[in-house]
Amino acid sequence: MLKIIVVVLSLLVALPVYALDGTALLKKIDRNLNPESFESYRKLINIEPDGRKKEYTLFTIKKGVDKVASLFLAPASEKGRSTLRLGDNMWFYIPNVGKPIRITSLQSIVGGVFNNSDILQLDYTAEYDVEKVEEKGGEYLLFLKAKTKTVAYDRLKIWADKGKLLPTKIECLTEANMLIKTLYFKDHKDFGGGIVRPAVIETDSPLYKGYKSVLIYAKVKQRTFKDEVFTLTFMPNLESLR
Amino acid sequence: MRTFIYLAMLMVLSLFLPALGAAEGDYTFDLSETEKKPYHFGGYVEFKPVLFGLDHDAAFYKLRFYNDPQGQTLPEANGRVQLEGSYEKESYRLYVKTNTDLKYSSLDGGAEHSVFYEAYGSLKPSSSLKIDAGKKALKWGKGYAWNPVAFVDRPKDPDDPELAMEGFIMATTDYIKSFDGPLKTFSFTPVILPVYDHINDAFGNNNKLNFAGRFYFLLYDTDIDLMFMTGGSRPDRYGGDFSRNVTTNFEIHGEYAYVRYARKTILDASGNMSAVEADAQSYLVGIRHLTAFDLTTIVEYYHNGAGFSDDELKNYFAFVNRAYNLYQSTGKVAALASAKNLADGAYGRSSAGENYLYVRFSQKEPFDILYFTPSLTWILNLDDRSYSLTPELLYTGFTNWEMRFRTAFIAGARNTEFGEKQNDYRMELRVGYYF
Repeated sequence: MLKIIVVVLSLLVALPVYALDGTALLKKIDRNLNPESFESYRKLINIEPDGRKKEYTLFTIKKGVDKVASLFLAPASEKGRSTLRLGDNMWFYIPNVGKPIRITSLQSIVGGVFNNSDILQLDYTAEYDVEKVEEKGGEYLLFLKAKTKTVAYDRLKIWADKGKLLPTKIECLTEANMLIKTLYFKDHKDFGGGIVRPAVIETDSPLYKGYKSVLIYAKVKQRTFKDEVFTLTFMPNLESLR
Repeated sequence: MRTFIYLAMLMVLSLFLPALGAAEGDYTFDLSETEKKPYHFGGYVEFKPVLFGLDHDAAFYKLRFYNDPQGQTLPEANGRVQLEGSYEKESYRLYVKTNTDLKYSSLDGGAEHSVFYEAYGSLKPSSSLKIDAGKKALKWGKGYAWNPVAFVDRPKDPDDPELAMEGFIMATTDYIKSFDGPLKTFSFTPVILPVYDHINDAFGNNNKLNFAGRFYFLLYDTDIDLMFMTGGSRPDRYGGDFSRNVTTNFEIHGEYAYVRYARKTILDASGNMSAVEADAQSYLVGIRHLTAFDLTTIVEYYHNGAGFSDDELKNYFAFVNRAYNLYQSTGKVAALASAKNLADGAYGRSSAGENYLYVRFSQKEPFDILYFTPSLTWILNLDDRSYSLTPELLYTGFTNWEMRFRTAFIAGARNTEFGEKQNDYRMELRVGYYF
């Protein structure tokens, strides 16, 4: 009898975990990270093992789940370059070249540990299905599987704070569960307008031993855009949105 | 020469600027960097010493140095200054980009050439509509090394396809419309390009008002452009291009251009000149592939329907050799002058032949050396099997600096396109600084 009671109690304790709707949880994490349509400024810093740094400043806009564009503001060598992502399509515009060229999610236009899909991150729900959710103390651990082969990482493991429903750590993995990189979310900050999110994302990778890349967020604010600004033809004009 | 010394001093001084910035603390984001000013000023300076290894038996060597023979090598110092400025107020914007090329060689002394690459005004009443008027480069096409559909641009140099280019004076509009469904984007870019005295007179026949246009579609995740040009300065032409990512690391692209009544001047085996006119079809197919270890491969096949056949090129080189021999035996230069005129036209252009293969491998950051990209580029004339092979080392690790060292080996039998180029090799260092 005692065994039956223990089993029933265990099931009752475990039920909330199984009852968790992983997709709803991931949607909530997406919305807590960013409003659905917003603008932000970001500084990307690549740090080499000897401490040498290279920095880039970007103005980024996003609309819906699958439209993102970024404009390089600094350094001078990159100023005016822009990137656009529409779902699985990505382009890179260099003023000298004068026309957008298609790029792929695995490339990195800035060097270092971040690749193009990290810089032009869509909502996680747009690219991933939640396979399962576990509870680890004060955190949820979400196991994500890419919806298609065109997604940069086949699998993600997201550790999210239970209270804030914001990620603390994300591991990016291959289909064979080989670790490609780890993202660390730090320094929660109130950006105003109800947006409270990590202001710093650090990343390292076993593929780039000793190297580190950092993204710092500033001036994150909700803003709506017309669909036409997320087009190839508009890429040279992104500066006009600032 | 003094200009070069100033240029070198400016660049050395600038090298220390990034070091000053590096002393700042960790993870600082100075928000003043994000403030927008109505004006912008920037630029680029470049110093490029070049060493040419001369081919004394080549047709283009004979054409240039027939009366002034050179040694085995010819050094040359090149400089470039590009200045860029813009002013923006509400929906109006003015943009100017100048280019100054500096050249110094013991042979020709110093030379300077300055030009406005672009200078135009823009009006953007909405995110769907923009009107530009002035000098502008449009750069149509999806090809990396060649763009047969770039109807209103100057020809691209396949040796350095990412260089900024001079535009033409034009009026143009961008109209953009986005949709849900398989067709995500449509845009239309009509162009009016006048050709009169002192206005675009290098473009083609004078006293003509030319019209061109491009329709762009993002359809089923594929970029598709359809374009045309008519008006009389150049033969009427129509074309299209496409580009598509097949997987996360594999892209395909292509271009097709149909030119009505394309004209070219050719030589027969006896050296008699004649003008021929025929419809020409040019096309390009290419891929871009990225491996897991960051090796990017670009392969393009280009058919230049208006180019010279293998025999037409051979007849030209034979004509140059006969003119050179005539000069040596009699001192007469008329035939050489005629050959030079042809070289200044289509015979002297890069990619003057009919069929080409372009292959470029570039390995990003090998051995974990950040910002270092070695590459190898091979341009092959498929008809005569002559080629140029260019290994290259590029380093961009210092903020705003770019250093590139490369050597082009130019090879081919006699009477072939690359075999008759002035040089057997060209070694160059390019140090550039952006500000």
